[in-house]
Amino acid sequence: MPSIILTVNGVQREVQSSPSTPLLYVLRNELELSGPQFGCGLAQCGACSVLLDGKEIRSCTTPLAQVGTKEVTTLEGLPGRWARQTGQPATAGAALALHPVQAAWIAEQTPLCGFCQNGMMIKATELLERTATPTRAEIKTAFTTDGPSAHLCRCGSYTAIIEAVERAGAAMAKKKA
Amino acid sequence: MASPSSTIGVCGARLSRRQFVKTGGALFVGVGLVGLDGLATPARAATSKNSLDPALPGSWIEIHADNTILLRTGRCDFGQSTIPVAYRQIVAEELNVTFEAITTVVSGDTDRTPDGGPSVDLLGRGAPNLRKAAAYTYQALLDLAASRLGVPRDQLSASNGVISGGGKSLSYGQLVQGAKLDLTIPVTGSLTEGGLTVTGNPPLKPVSQYTIVGKSYLNDVTESKVSAKKVWVSDVRLPAMLHGRMVHPKTLGSTLVSVGQLDKTRFPTAQLVVKGNLVGVVAPTEWDAVRAAAEVAAGTKWTDWKGLPGSSNVFQWLRDGADWTTTPVVTSEKSTGDVPPALAKAAKRLTASYEMPYIKHAPIGPPVAVADVQANGTVFIYTHNQNPQALRTLVAEMLETSTDNVIVREFAGSGHYGRSNGGNPGCEDEAVLLSKAVGKPVRVQWMRAEDFQWSTQSPIGFSDVRIGLDTNGTITGYQVDHYMPAMQDDRLVAALLTGLPTISAPDVPTARGAGAGRTVNRNLDPWLYDRIENVLELGHGTFQVGQAASPIGVGLRDHSLRTPGQFQQNHPRELAMSEAAALAGTDGITFRLRHTKDPRLIAVLEAVREASGWQSRPSPGPSSASTGSTPVVGQGVSAMVRKGGYWACVCQVSVVPATGKVVVTNYTIALDLGIVVNPRQLKRQVEGGAIMGISHALHEELTFDESGVTSRDWRTYPILTMAEIPEVKVVFLNRPEVGGYAQGSETANALAAPAIAAALFDATGKMARRLPLKPAYVQALLKA
Repeated sequence: MPSIILTVNGVQREVQSSPSTPLLYVLRNELELSGPQFGCGLAQCGACSVLLDGKEIRSCTTPLAQVGTKEVTTLEGLPGRWARQTGQPATAGAALALHPVQAAWIAEQTPLCGFCQNGMMIKATELLERTATPTRAEIKTAFTTDGPSAHLCRCGSYTAIIEAVERAGAAMAKKKA
Repeated sequence: MASPSSTIGVCGARLSRRQFVKTGGALFVGVGLVGLDGLATPARAATSKNSLDPALPGSWIEIHADNTILLRTGRCDFGQSTIPVAYRQIVAEELNVTFEAITTVVSGDTDRTPDGGPSVDLLGRGAPNLRKAAAYTYQALLDLAASRLGVPRDQLSASNGVISGGGKSLSYGQLVQGAKLDLTIPVTGSLTEGGLTVTGNPPLKPVSQYTIVGKSYLNDVTESKVSAKKVWVSDVRLPAMLHGRMVHPKTLGSTLVSVGQLDKTRFPTAQLVVKGNLVGVVAPTEWDAVRAAAEVAAGTKWTDWKGLPGSSNVFQWLRDGADWTTTPVVTSEKSTGDVPPALAKAAKRLTASYEMPYIKHAPIGPPVAVADVQANGTVFIYTHNQNPQALRTLVAEMLETSTDNVIVREFAGSGHYGRSNGGNPGCEDEAVLLSKAVGKPVRVQWMRAEDFQWSTQSPIGFSDVRIGLDTNGTITGYQVDHYMPAMQDDRLVAALLTGLPTISAPDVPTARGAGAGRTVNRNLDPWLYDRIENVLELGHGTFQVGQAASPIGVGLRDHSLRTPGQFQQNHPRELAMSEAAALAGTDGITFRLRHTKDPRLIAVLEAVREASGWQSRPSPGPSSASTGSTPVVGQGVSAMVRKGGYWACVCQVSVVPATGKVVVTNYTIALDLGIVVNPRQLKRQVEGGAIMGISHALHEELTFDESGVTSRDWRTYPILTMAEIPEVKVVFLNRPEVGGYAQGSETANALAAPAIAAALFDATGKMARRLPLKPAYVQALLKA
């Protein structure tokens, strides 16, 4: 089978999966990127979210063939994405600081079981790149009606997510100012 | 110590030196069963060979020469952060070391930890053992220091892992340097029946001196979860591992007629596994496994079965068709006085029935596990599990092998909320049989629909309540009959489908086997209203719906969820109290206060009244309405005691009568759990429970037809979204004088529904006596 070239987290990667394979399985099984999780396989929950050219998509229902030349960013790629956006030198081998969204998720102790939080952090990153200081209503809209479905959390961490988005937004605005 | 063979007693524990070592050194803390003549020699307890013997030195706590400390527990964390944070705080506090000195916590793996029993009530039952073990360890360290420093013990004190006195000091690391020391702590109990309990009374640090318990330490597991460090069971990958998908029967009672074809031209490397009614497909790539299984499923023929009442008729069927006579009726210990004459003489009476549907645990990630059945008979299972030791036993029974051959490794996973506290989350057994069949490690991932259709759920229930009031609006008689099918069905689905051995289904008390007595509907909701003089509470139990009639013994299998059985008893009780308050012409909080003498309950009710802006007036409210397109608002209250913790909750709702849409605008909760170990983690837990409980109240109901479950995804089983959440306010009443670390952050779950339904009544004047409060139901209710 001919290989397909993907741009993932700023790097070109060659993959062997068939073109119909959902991007989620390619990322998790072939590229060993374990950030996105299998939640429903139906684009109904958001656990599998990644950014495609900065837009949040559901990797569980996106066939590999649809990705084309667009850049995929997974949870693992958030630190590098932030480093590029803020002009920090990406020294080879050096550990990058966590993305402000990830740091805020720690500071606010947002995850309970944490299984959905990959998608929550991806959605937060998309939102904050578009709207630096969203209102609570804008945050709720982003996580509920913006995408293919609401981003679902079973443990009920929504309050903690909102507080973490606000914290991350403030940190990002300060850094970029 | 004075001599090479010296063994000294430490408050009933035993400290001895195993050997001298040239480098390093450590103090290992294990346990010994207490015999008739004192502490028995540490001997292998009756446990599996591949389990860490709790009697082995070092099975619980190790203090190393480099001043680091390791903890082991057979229990598992589910994101509550109890084990990685609260356990460390409690042990660090008693040991007088920093939180950070405890560098490693090993949890759950059956071959690396002592058996710990189910991961329920982590603070109530788990923490006191560790606290005492740490207290013994501290006493042993004081003895060591007294000997080494030549300073009397009572002149020594410790801080941050350093013992000082008489102008001298030594760190814990220095104390253990150069020797392997064993501390054996006395325990009673049994590993297999209820677990071990640390005995004796080592001096515990006074709560007034706490510096670590009560502080909001961060959970360092969070960092690994938010930065994708492969901590999840879904991330486990073994060499030569194959991906598996199941082809489950068409109904919950179907048997296999013929298996669909696996097209080897399209899927040359896939394999079909058929064993009895178990059908699965494995393939080197996950996508091939998904597609091949779907093709096989399309061609597979099953018998039809119609043995369920269907969710639209289920409550009628439960009343008319279920067997409530075979299981003994339980008269609860709350029962007192003489209810019938009190009801007969009452000035006002309430007679009401309340209905609670089946609710799913509904983890965001469906079950996933890896099994590796090796040629030599060793079985490794990689799982997310609340009870790895029980899974080890269940799988050993199914394979008719010794538990010595089964090793269960614990990983993080999508929350189970009680589903796996008997060891069986869902797909582990199927992964084992597929791995055994193909001779390679197999990862089985259930798809979304399989989680709704083949996992257990929280049992359905209904309750009939009768309340009598006197002319002063005081309850003179209270009677409730609770009805609920059995739960705690931990049978392995793979064993049911193949006919392999597994534990017995929940059954009546006179039956034999693991399920005996599980149909009994016990009193699970502590009584709050001790001023009521005449109380009669009866628990009626029955078999799981459809299970006995299913040719494969499946039917609707039930399991505990968060406040198992207690929700099914508390919701009707608390909602009836709100109805009775309205009959009495008073508000729900004043009415509850009128019926209790318990100062802790009074305190949480008064706290929630103040924090929520509660209006002390009868329901329905002055501006209530059951028609129109203008939103009407209302307030409702509920209360619960769970595992020594006291809780009260107020919900404010907004309802549009014309559409029946209910929005919870504010959720305020006051709680008294005794000692609060970590306020931030507790707050997050309570917020989460509040939101999950609102989800139950507004949205959740398992639907099924005569053959099986028709809920299959997040559209047919919706849960609360972020746009629907209220403002959540959490008020802690920190009461260290109570002494214990009560827990039950899951209580916030249970309190939502009765408060919301009472608020709906306050807003509209109509009482919703069944759940969930979906718009169509509320709309119909308001028109009636």
